[in-house]
Amino acid sequence: MVAATLLSFAATAQIPTGGIEATVVSRAGRAPIQGATVELSQDDALLSSFTTPADGQFLFEGLADGNYVLDVTADGYTPARVNVKVEQGLVRNLMFVTLGPTQSLLASELDASSFAEFDLDDTGYSDAPTILYANNDVYADMVGYGFSAIRFKNRGYASETQDVYLAGVPMNDALTGYTPFSLWSGLNEAMRSKDATLGLEQLPYGISGYNGLTNISGQPYDVRPGWRFSLLTNSALYRLRLMATYASGELDNGWSYAFNASARLGGNDWVEGLYYRSFAFYAGASKRFNDAHRLSLTAFVTPGNRGAQNASTQEVYDLMGDNMYNSNWGYQNGKVRNSRVRKTFEPIVTLKYDYTPSEDFSASATLLYRTGYNGYTALDWYDAQDPRPDYYKNLPSYFFIEDEDYNRVNFEKAEWARYAWTHHTPEYYNYQHLNWDRLYNVNYANPEGRSKYALEERRVDQNDVNLVGSIDWDIDRHFNLRAGAQFKYNRTENYKLMNDLLGGQYYLNIDSFAERDFASNAALIQNDLDYFLANGEAERITTGGKYGYDYLAQIRRANLWASGTYTLGTFSASLAGSVGYESFWRDGLVRKGLFAGLDDNGNEMYYNGRLLTTYDKNGNPVTSKGKSDVAQFLTWSGKLNLAYEMTGGHRVSANVAYFNDAPTFAQSFVSARTRNTMVDGLTTVKTFSSDVNYQYNNGGYNVRVTGFYTKINDQTDVMSFYDDSQHSFTNFAMTGIDQRHMGIELGVQVPLFVEGLSVSGVLSWGEYVYTSNPHMVQTVDNNAEIIRDEDVPFWKSTPIYKVAGYLDDGTVVYDQDADGNYIIEGETKHYVPSTPQLAAAIGLNYNINYWFFELTGQYFANSYLDMNPLYRTAFACGGGDGKVTPEEVYYMTEQERFDPAFLLNLSIGKSWYIGDYQLGFSLNMQNLLNNKNVKTGGYEQTRLISSYGKDRYYRFDPKYFYMYGANYMLNVYFRF
Amino acid sequence: MKKIFIFAAALLAFSSCQSLKEEWQPVFTGEYDKPAVNQPVDMEANTTIAELAAMYETGKPWTVDKNIVISGIVSTTDKYGNFYKSFYIQDETGGIELKLGKNGLYNDYLPGQRIYVDCRDLELGMYGYKSGSGNGMVQIGFNNGGDDTYETSYIESSILIDTHVFKGEVEGEVKPIVIDAEDLPGENDTQNTNNNIGKLVTIRNLHYSWYDSRYGDMNEAFALLYIDSNKDKKASSNRIFISGEDTGITTWAMSEEKMDEYLTSGIWDGVDIGNANDYNYGTVGDYKDKIDPISGEGYYGIDRAPYSVSQYFSTEPGGAGTCVQIRTSGYCRFADTEIDPAVLSGDKTINVTGILTLYQGRIQVTVNNITDITVNP
Repeated sequence: MVAATLLSFAATAQIPTGGIEATVVSRAGRAPIQGATVELSQDDALLSSFTTPADGQFLFEGLADGNYVLDVTADGYTPARVNVKVEQGLVRNLMFVTLGPTQSLLASELDASSFAEFDLDDTGYSDAPTILYANNDVYADMVGYGFSAIRFKNRGYASETQDVYLAGVPMNDALTGYTPFSLWSGLNEAMRSKDATLGLEQLPYGISGYNGLTNISGQPYDVRPGWRFSLLTNSALYRLRLMATYASGELDNGWSYAFNASARLGGNDWVEGLYYRSFAFYAGASKRFNDAHRLSLTAFVTPGNRGAQNASTQEVYDLMGDNMYNSNWGYQNGKVRNSRVRKTFEPIVTLKYDYTPSEDFSASATLLYRTGYNGYTALDWYDAQDPRPDYYKNLPSYFFIEDEDYNRVNFEKAEWARYAWTHHTPEYYNYQHLNWDRLYNVNYANPEGRSKYALEERRVDQNDVNLVGSIDWDIDRHFNLRAGAQFKYNRTENYKLMNDLLGGQYYLNIDSFAERDFASNAALIQNDLDYFLANGEAERITTGGKYGYDYLAQIRRANLWASGTYTLGTFSASLAGSVGYESFWRDGLVRKGLFAGLDDNGNEMYYNGRLLTTYDKNGNPVTSKGKSDVAQFLTWSGKLNLAYEMTGGHRVSANVAYFNDAPTFAQSFVSARTRNTMVDGLTTVKTFSSDVNYQYNNGGYNVRVTGFYTKINDQTDVMSFYDDSQHSFTNFAMTGIDQRHMGIELGVQVPLFVEGLSVSGVLSWGEYVYTSNPHMVQTVDNNAEIIRDEDVPFWKSTPIYKVAGYLDDGTVVYDQDADGNYIIEGETKHYVPSTPQLAAAIGLNYNINYWFFELTGQYFANSYLDMNPLYRTAFACGGGDGKVTPEEVYYMTEQERFDPAFLLNLSIGKSWYIGDYQLGFSLNMQNLLNNKNVKTGGYEQTRLISSYGKDRYYRFDPKYFYMYGANYMLNVYFRF
Repeated sequence: MKKIFIFAAALLAFSSCQSLKEEWQPVFTGEYDKPAVNQPVDMEANTTIAELAAMYETGKPWTVDKNIVISGIVSTTDKYGNFYKSFYIQDETGGIELKLGKNGLYNDYLPGQRIYVDCRDLELGMYGYKSGSGNGMVQIGFNNGGDDTYETSYIESSILIDTHVFKGEVEGEVKPIVIDAEDLPGENDTQNTNNNIGKLVTIRNLHYSWYDSRYGDMNEAFALLYIDSNKDKKASSNRIFISGEDTGITTWAMSEEKMDEYLTSGIWDGVDIGNANDYNYGTVGDYKDKIDPISGEGYYGIDRAPYSVSQYFSTEPGGAGTCVQIRTSGYCRFADTEIDPAVLSGDKTINVTGILTLYQGRIQVTVNNITDITVNP
């Protein structure tokens, strides 16, 4: 205990013995804060003031029983106010007063977390923040939300590598690893309080990976106290958001409670058919017992429906004159109806216990349960025309392509198709959008009441139970130990539900395209063979019925971790490690005819004398029902963090780590929808990652420079695409994908000559490349055969062939060796896609008198299109004649690089204080230059067109997502 | 400062006014009302199918440049897979195929429904004509755009279909006409000269196999297989003709699965690759030695796919009389249905109901469903 301030204001004969003590710490990392000002007052009268020393501790003694108020302020942190009751002449130990990072007006009210939407991933527009860290780091401030519209991925890492925790519980999706922001979107206030790190740095909740860790508190005592109402309108997501929040802060009796509710409603200016009808509810209560114990219970849910978007080819966008065209919707009785609607109801309950017996030791444990449903509707059809307006056979290019080698020669038909696409008046809407009226009429006309078109709902219903615990122990003044354990049990049922029969009476549970191949064998087309064998016909599905596929994903995960930190002066070194066990398996609940496997007695299955059971190349039956093999992995990681601070605000740090992680469930089955077959050669992902950082923070200057290098090896990926020609999903299971990410990050903030004016800039410049040629197995859901099983020799690069000369007509002749092989001189690298590898921004900020203005210019370049492995095989480059030529390799394997983009954004805000009331607004205008040609991502289709001469293949056009044009967001709030 | 105010206010005003109208258009998220049932069109034909067919000149596909509207009742269905991407309509004078080029046409064009076709801009052409052998069928499609594989192409484009093919009342399914051997068309007939062509007919008492006096061959079944369907289908090195007697094919057609059974049974091992003028590519059996790159096992290096089969019948026993081929698609539901052995042995005859067509002057019948073929006791 360092300091004491004796007070003698009480003019009683007896000297009071009560007091208040605590340590002022930062929320991120609980580091003691030196130089914090602690003011003690009672009944609005200031009694005393104290400045904390290096250990952040303070003590006020000689206080009479009564209610006191502590106001704690520190540079770079948000002020805190604590109500304290001193009783029975005792010294009240508050343990910690926690300060969050500075919340300037900009940070607190325009802070994008006020209106960030996280649940657009399935639309291709991911507004998930790239970084959730905003603790006085210019880079993170500017990149965090500012780069999300372009889908910037920090350091090029997949978003799944970003660890997101809630109340200390790892929340990344158990099946896919995806960040789970949609679970709490709309609860911006309840989930505002968070700690985060970048890259390899650690937090007390776990040692995390190489792409940062964000822990969202979600606890009632961390919600900003008071009432708060906000009204938001914007032109990019939804028309209206209404939100109300109340939090009590911690009351004298130890209770805290909070609630947060919101509604998000309406469509947007840029993409027709997108809409929100989403609600969010949060309630939490917490009680502190005897200073050392605290128990918190929270529950929240964000039920709602959300219309989604689809990618189309550039041809379609050009025909429509709109890069934001959405093929998912059409008019039904004159009303816009979207076929793709996300429907969610996933409640989460957390019970958290904190134990803080002394200032040197704390422990906490959280139990978290997630349940409910997550559905996504889509059109399903049986033996009928593909209803999607942008189906490739509806496009002019299907009839005519200039290059005769495509053998698409009917110019006149193409002109008819073009006419239908380019006349944007109601009589042509049915060619440009879904024609719901036709779908209903087909169903009406079917004499048996059987729906040929229906709306399916793909359900992913999770039951996820988590238990985590951790301790944080300052063993002595040099050594700190943190350790914890994490357990996860996940049981997720994946199936299809009949959402809407579109005017029909029932839908037949058969695989509609398998019927084309296996028309003459009724058993092979069954989605539920057991039902068929028992009843002699396929099941008739009515609204709400399960059909198609139905399986459980079962996942069990346990992880132990520990981290020791040694501190000497301003030098610190942390060594951390984890060891874990993960197992998962698939449990098929129905038997699909194509993958009948063995019957329940272990015998081969027959129908009409034909053998249904098929075997894989290892001689094992390919099966859809029952339990698959169990994939088991031992995982571990190690991490070393070193940091040294020098006087004058300089800090250098270096981090290095190695991870041995399990692949995810979603990456491990060749087609989990249909069969138990796992990807061959499944192994752990090995990652080496390191970074070196220099920071400078002084006198309003704020600089960080980071260099990073990461090597990720042995990744598995299963890509599933809907294949038009197969009317089915085609799956590419790739193994042995290696990639390397290296680059620099720079963030600079410089105060200018005018008070309140500053300029800041960031740069992220890297090279994220593939470094291996993986192996690929292609399957389709409606066929038991392996379609392709081969290496992908052009995955990591396109070779550069040696030119021997040129013919008179300019044709290139490539050099060949004595054996006739083309001579390779070099290679053109292939890049990790869908993120700019060069990104820069410069911003001018002006803060005065509760006004703020921020003008930001952004530049993005070196973003690449997601690759499809099929186009990088010798098969695709060989064409019908099987001869791989340099021309074909160049054409087929090169990766598309997107054009660079420049964007200009402006934010304005103001708040007014009227007594205890605060009223304010913020207006955020993005893409002021109304640039509508910025590709944010997309994918290559998986089909090939055979040339007229059958000697080579052509690609199908890729599909893209574009960034919205100029849009704004206006937020008005009121708090007291 | 004042300027900034004005700028901000102007921007705010701009962004809100410009889009205020569409801005607050409500998004409908309730229950959608069911769309109304489509009403039949009110049209009249001005030309019969026979009259239209008469306008066709052999070898000269014609882009209709007159105001011609025909009408007929849908007589086929693609529901069972034996018709594909097209359907037939018929009036009193004849039947004609409309090459719409879409899947699942029976969903939109119901068997028994009256259809009107505004023929202007569509193409009248013939499929299956062979000089010296005879006629094929006059069809309605679209011009082939210079790809002269066929005289007409599929209409395909939705807007073309919607502006040329119109739906009337559902009047009830077409009743087949029972015809005798003497009613059957000759090799140079068309819809114009024999009004049974293109119509749904029933032919009774057909006997299995047909003797071709021209070549002195007995014909039972015919199928054309490809070694690799991704390669040139016209190259004789890529073609395998399964024809004549004892082909081993006992089904109406063959699905991929059935084709595989036939192939691996070895019954075709002795069949030559190529055609009679060009047998230089070995036999089917030679392809057994291919090694499957996936399983590493030996296999037939021949494209496994569904294949159509023509089964030969005659109007008289012992292969005599007129030849009637029953041609069935390998993609249809009943492709693998076994032909009654008593029919194959000649002990029993069949009655068949289907669309009467000509292909290179030969009579082919295409059935809608397997129930259209019955075995006589």
